[in-house]
Amino acid sequence: MSKKRTSLCLLIILFTVMLCNTGSAGVTPEILLGARGISSLNLDYSPGGDSETVSDISDTSLLVGFRQKLYNRYRGALVIGFQFPDEGSDLEPILFHQVFLRVEDRTNIFRIGRTRVRSAMIEFPTLRDDDAIYFTDILNPFSSGEDAEDNQYGSIMEATRIFGQRYQLSAYGEHLKEETENISKDFGFNALGLSFQYRVPESQRWNREILNQIGISLNTALTSRPGYSGELDKALKSITFSTVLNIRPDPVHFWDLRHQSIFNLGFSEVKNLSDYSDITRARSISTFTSLRYLYRKLERPALQAALSYGYKAFPDLSNNSSQHQVIANSFYRIGENFDVGLQLRYQKNSGDLKTIIGEHETEVQFAFIYSIEQLWNSQFDDRESLLNLEHGYIP
Amino acid sequence: MNRRDFLITGAALSAATLLPGSLFAETTKRKNLKRFPRQLKPEIEGNVKVFRLFVDIHQQELAPGLKTHTLAFNNQVPGPEIRVNRGDRVKVYFKNRTELNHTIHWHGMHVPWRMDGVPYITQMPVMPGQEFVYEFTAEPYGTHFYHCHWGTLLHMQAGMFGSLIVEEPDDPIKKLFPYEREYTLLYSAHDLNFLRNEINAMLERMKERLYLVKNGRFDKERFAVFDSKEELEEAVRNGYQPPYVVNRRAPADLAQPFWFTVNGKSYPSTPTLYIREGESIRVRLINSGTEEHYLHLHGHDFWLVCDDGIPVPQPWQMNTMRLSPGKTLDIIIEGKNRGIWTFHDHDTRRVTNNGLYPGGNLMALVYEDLPEEERRVMPMEGMNNLIPKVALDE
Repeated sequence: MSKKRTSLCLLIILFTVMLCNTGSAGVTPEILLGARGISSLNLDYSPGGDSETVSDISDTSLLVGFRQKLYNRYRGALVIGFQFPDEGSDLEPILFHQVFLRVEDRTNIFRIGRTRVRSAMIEFPTLRDDDAIYFTDILNPFSSGEDAEDNQYGSIMEATRIFGQRYQLSAYGEHLKEETENISKDFGFNALGLSFQYRVPESQRWNREILNQIGISLNTALTSRPGYSGELDKALKSITFSTVLNIRPDPVHFWDLRHQSIFNLGFSEVKNLSDYSDITRARSISTFTSLRYLYRKLERPALQAALSYGYKAFPDLSNNSSQHQVIANSFYRIGENFDVGLQLRYQKNSGDLKTIIGEHETEVQFAFIYSIEQLWNSQFDDRESLLNLEHGYIP
Repeated sequence: MNRRDFLITGAALSAATLLPGSLFAETTKRKNLKRFPRQLKPEIEGNVKVFRLFVDIHQQELAPGLKTHTLAFNNQVPGPEIRVNRGDRVKVYFKNRTELNHTIHWHGMHVPWRMDGVPYITQMPVMPGQEFVYEFTAEPYGTHFYHCHWGTLLHMQAGMFGSLIVEEPDDPIKKLFPYEREYTLLYSAHDLNFLRNEINAMLERMKERLYLVKNGRFDKERFAVFDSKEELEEAVRNGYQPPYVVNRRAPADLAQPFWFTVNGKSYPSTPTLYIREGESIRVRLINSGTEEHYLHLHGHDFWLVCDDGIPVPQPWQMNTMRLSPGKTLDIIIEGKNRGIWTFHDHDTRRVTNNGLYPGGNLMALVYEDLPEEERRVMPMEGMNNLIPKVALDE
């Protein structure tokens, strides 16, 4: 890690601690500290793969947020966070994946900065966020494919309008990391999108509706597609559909089903896959579905088990290519916020994908996961608290 | 506008709320009546006075520009005043319109023990949607109050309290100090962050618990409710971890109140006590909060006449009194020194709103017959050079 980054990390932590312990003459902001540590023993049974990785700490992250009321009904927030990228990544040892500002009121949210891009609409119960990245995310067409984070994080400018508490319409422009081509000068937009979703707020999860979330999004990556001049023709378009169903919304034995399909309209000239860029630009259909069981003891999560299946097909290729993935995992809570987990991941690739990614991968991971979230200086309510949702909103 | 200009303007605006000129307007006096508990009218069933109370979640404006969610009896904070005669048969229908549990405790009243409102001891909690009927004979005489006894720390400072006055036709205090007007003041203190976070958490927990109860799946360990201490000890021996152990629930900070109210309002929305020269008024003081208050009246001594509703053997003259949590005190103020006098907590941390002075339980005793020429005590108009050069919050 460079000295500069180390110093910056220490400064953030020191600054937060100071604010937590001292008074301030002005308006002291709310301070949120979020941390997640994942450390796993990975056993790789893939042909030619490493036999084991003793300690994989990727996706371990620290987030610091500051929030306060503005002079009118709006609230302003700053979030800074860093994480450890995947083992073998060519990124620096620490990645600042979250650095953004947010201004919001009851019905509007504006975000600008570096954060999670809108490549996926929902999250899935996998050990790490990128365990099924080929199936769960719209892949970044400008990435070389070395780093999964290229698909997940970027600069974003986003406006969201909330209707009737549960309907959200978002429009966003993004700057995805560019490695294979230089599209945007001066960090401009190289992707645009729209999404619309119905979503039950987290605080109302025990209202026991069957439909928890349903959404659709349209994403376009503004590529420099050779041979085409029209912006619409050059744009790589994807349509995503997602849903989360509470199939048994029971507080003790909870079951839900998550599904997302991504239709990448692709470029018709991509008939073979020779590298990662082709995978991102070929017409494809990706689906990922998870069935999750959650046992809650004493009103706390105690055990979670999930079975997920992903399928991706490339219908326009001359050499029939597809991907299948199965992920089975279970997490057991051994203390407040602390879990042990076991995950089995199997992926099979066919056609051209065999030469790019390999024929199949089998991995077993045993992990410790520790997640905390702490708020200091609480001074106003969340938009989605039960009081604000069900008993009148107070700005 | 530079910083200095801004401070001066700020001072002028803040001070404007202190100017007494408008206190004498009839509209102000009419509005002031609404700052005291509204009396709940009984239905008469034979020889029984029947009152109907409900509790619901309500929004309360503590001071201009500051709203908070409260648990309120009949959508009022404090709840409506129940006023009965000593010996009356009283029946109170209490309907729970929230998703939380509640009871009513009749503080200072000699009710049958099954009517005392202590959950799991004298009665089961009144669960969401349920109604409970309290019945008792109004004893003893005096100033008392009622409040929720479930999650008392939270529910009381969330607003679940109200005055209960037991009168006697031949009032002993009235004999000593003839008076026509009387006022009821209920003091409280609020940690709004504690309230908001705890009510949200309890609402969320109760949604989950109600589902299980409705499905006949009450679980003692999950609900942390046991039939006996021995049963709890046995559960702990078998591996059960109660919610209060640190590896199950982090210790929440105890409430640190930073809003102080009288009749559910903080200054400048607190009520005003009106008096006339030569008049005596009775003030019933009830501490329904968690903080001690050291109440001081400027320019007067007053007579302490009742303690916990009980007439004291010898009225005691003083100008500062300690009002402890759960305590009621009755005082008589004699109109002997005309003017506009502040009446406030002398622990002046409690005359602040969110840490800024003036605020909290600051009130005024106002002689409504004050001559016109004495009413404008701070004629600031056109005299900008006299405006204080320091903002009130500095």
